[in-house]
Amino acid sequence: MGGGTVTRRDFIKTSGAGAVATGLGANIIVPGRAHAAKKKLRILQWVHFVPAYDEWFNKKYVVEWGQKNDTEVTVDNIGIAGINARAAAEVSAQKGHDLFLFNWPPPTFEEQAVDMKDVYQEVERKLGKPIDLAIKSTYNPKTKRYYAFSPSFTPDPVNYRQDLFAQVGLPNGPRTWEEVRVKGAEIKKKTGHPVGIGLANEIDTGMAMRTIMYAFGAHEQDENGNLALNSKQTLEAIKFVRALFQEAMTAEVFTWDASSNNRAMIAGKVSVVLNAISITRTAEKDDPEISKKIQLTKALRGPVRAIGLEHVMQCYVVWKFAENIDGAKRFLVDYTTDFRQPFVAGEFYDFPCFPKTVPDLAKLISNDPKAHPLDKYKVLEDVLGWATNVGYPGYANAAIDEIFGTWVLNVMFAKAASGAATPEEALQEADTACRRIFGKWKEKGLV
Amino acid sequence: MSDRLATARPRGLSFVVDSPRWLGPLMIGPAVLYIVLVVGLPFVLAILYAFSDVSMGHRTLEFVGFRNFASVLGTPKFQTALKNTFVFAVTSQVLVMVLATVLALALIRDFHGKWLVRLLILLPWVAPISLGTIGWLWILDSTYSVINWTLEALGLITNEGWLMWLGVPHLAMASVIVIHVWRILPLATVILIAGLTSIPHDIHDAAQMDGAGFWRHLFQVTVPLIRPIMLVAGLFGLVFAFTDMIVIFVLTRGGPYDTTQVLASLAFFTGIQGGDLAEGAAVALFLFPLLVAVAVGFLRVARRTEVT
Repeated sequence: MGGGTVTRRDFIKTSGAGAVATGLGANIIVPGRAHAAKKKLRILQWVHFVPAYDEWFNKKYVVEWGQKNDTEVTVDNIGIAGINARAAAEVSAQKGHDLFLFNWPPPTFEEQAVDMKDVYQEVERKLGKPIDLAIKSTYNPKTKRYYAFSPSFTPDPVNYRQDLFAQVGLPNGPRTWEEVRVKGAEIKKKTGHPVGIGLANEIDTGMAMRTIMYAFGAHEQDENGNLALNSKQTLEAIKFVRALFQEAMTAEVFTWDASSNNRAMIAGKVSVVLNAISITRTAEKDDPEISKKIQLTKALRGPVRAIGLEHVMQCYVVWKFAENIDGAKRFLVDYTTDFRQPFVAGEFYDFPCFPKTVPDLAKLISNDPKAHPLDKYKVLEDVLGWATNVGYPGYANAAIDEIFGTWVLNVMFAKAASGAATPEEALQEADTACRRIFGKWKEKGLV
Repeated sequence: MSDRLATARPRGLSFVVDSPRWLGPLMIGPAVLYIVLVVGLPFVLAILYAFSDVSMGHRTLEFVGFRNFASVLGTPKFQTALKNTFVFAVTSQVLVMVLATVLALALIRDFHGKWLVRLLILLPWVAPISLGTIGWLWILDSTYSVINWTLEALGLITNEGWLMWLGVPHLAMASVIVIHVWRILPLATVILIAGLTSIPHDIHDAAQMDGAGFWRHLFQVTVPLIRPIMLVAGLFGLVFAFTDMIVIFVLTRGGPYDTTQVLASLAFFTGIQGGDLAEGAAVALFLFPLLVAVAVGFLRVARRTEVT
């Protein structure tokens, strides 16, 4: 043991003491320092479709909010496909982010979520009532709890090719579902461009099929949350989709994923699709020529009503096991109050659930320098009135969520359209599936 | 002196290294720990989930017996998925075994560029599967399919007659099977190459001297000798095909209208997308007893046919 060597005993003693001093010392031995540390707020949300939004949110808004509130805010962005799995992992570990953004109503997580009633109340006190869509997507009337808070949603308007519809006498695009079928077939025959309404196991199909159902007066449930799928109206909606497919579409729609309709529209392959303004925004950047040909129109009228769905529903959840529940709630109140900023930063992708947050909304969307014509997005000025939730006329709930997530209605429409089943058989099969799912969640006490 | 050295008790690390009693467990320990943590614990959890009423948001496990199994068994969705699982797994595995044998026989011969061919064949196994499958998604895309583009350029189809690879039930099932075969083939090939190279050369020479032709040599000499290793390769592939969902999840998500839905993907959609973890686990575990029986059967046959 020479002077320059270190024995194992010395090494353990020295490193042990060092570890205590650096690791524990900061938090236990010097408690004052621990108290002085900044509060932390951890947010998880999707990689926004508009990159400029993430740039603004991550690098500007949360930084400024953090400075004002003496809080260190970190934001983790993940792909939308990983949201549910990530939420399940956080719940399983009982550890994770303070604020967790779902892009759809998350009723199955209710037991793990803090009641957001006070957040709604505080925002309402400042900004007035939210739209019905927000409440229907975040409130459980059975338990009387708000399991999430929704500051915004993304509309799901009709994107149509103006040049093609002008050729069949509809320069302003279709106004009814019947026009989509008749004129869509005419366009397909004349120019070879089919209608592009998905019939696959993917989210956009789920939205489009419900839009048609609701316009036909058909619903998965009534306003009290009772299963109501098996109806004459649903059968009519199925028969309509079958006719629409046979006359105006191709088998391409069975292959689609959530971005296929975007690609098909921008590639100039289809005449009309239902989607968020992601199509027109992408076209403005990537293909200005096709962008000029794609225009938007409001929800299409069916035999019963003109109604559209939300395309993305921003629902923030604060976990019961979150470490900074108060900070998360404070953030939501402030973010919603400041919603004009994200509305502009997101290039009008997200619309406010509290209308007063963007008082000049109509003016902003009527004069967008990126759009062609400048007032392309003006059709969305009254979208707060015609956009509704998944599960209309009832509330989004766990059963509706599982029916959506396991593609029950997508398969029902696709089977009938393809001829794999008659409309009656397809409806019967879906009704049996929904009955089982509703029964299961009722038993769990969430519906 | 030498007696003292021989009887001296080894000290410290050398004691462990020199003792087979300690070295064996020490070396295999990390692997066992890894399997227990990554495979064993989730598996036990899945069993607990399958017999409980757990959901994504409800963490308390209340025992419900076989209720989840009973609830899901009779549904057309489950029955379709069960049928598809067998079609997908058995067809792909038959193709894998035939093609892997052909490839292995070709690759044990000497030819120019053999290393390059071996490298290219191994690539699908080395590349991340989701990445490779996304590549296939584009190859089979309804708007941009390079296969359709080529067929059209060759005059074999018209622009209106593009094949919807993932939109027509039989084409979609064929597509997912072909891509699964593409993915599993390298592993099976490598296993069979190892088996083929272990056959002593004098057996081949003797068969040749006896005038055995190619087919007789293959089926009466080569295949019986590598049967144990073929069974192992087959077992790996079969279990993989029965339990994996990546190819189907990326390409079709079970569509068109559930005609490619398999139990693994249905378990994911029910448990994670639909929120019912308990039922998702029941779907995932449904084939476990069958797979155990298949594995035991394969391994017994392999042991019986082993040539010593």
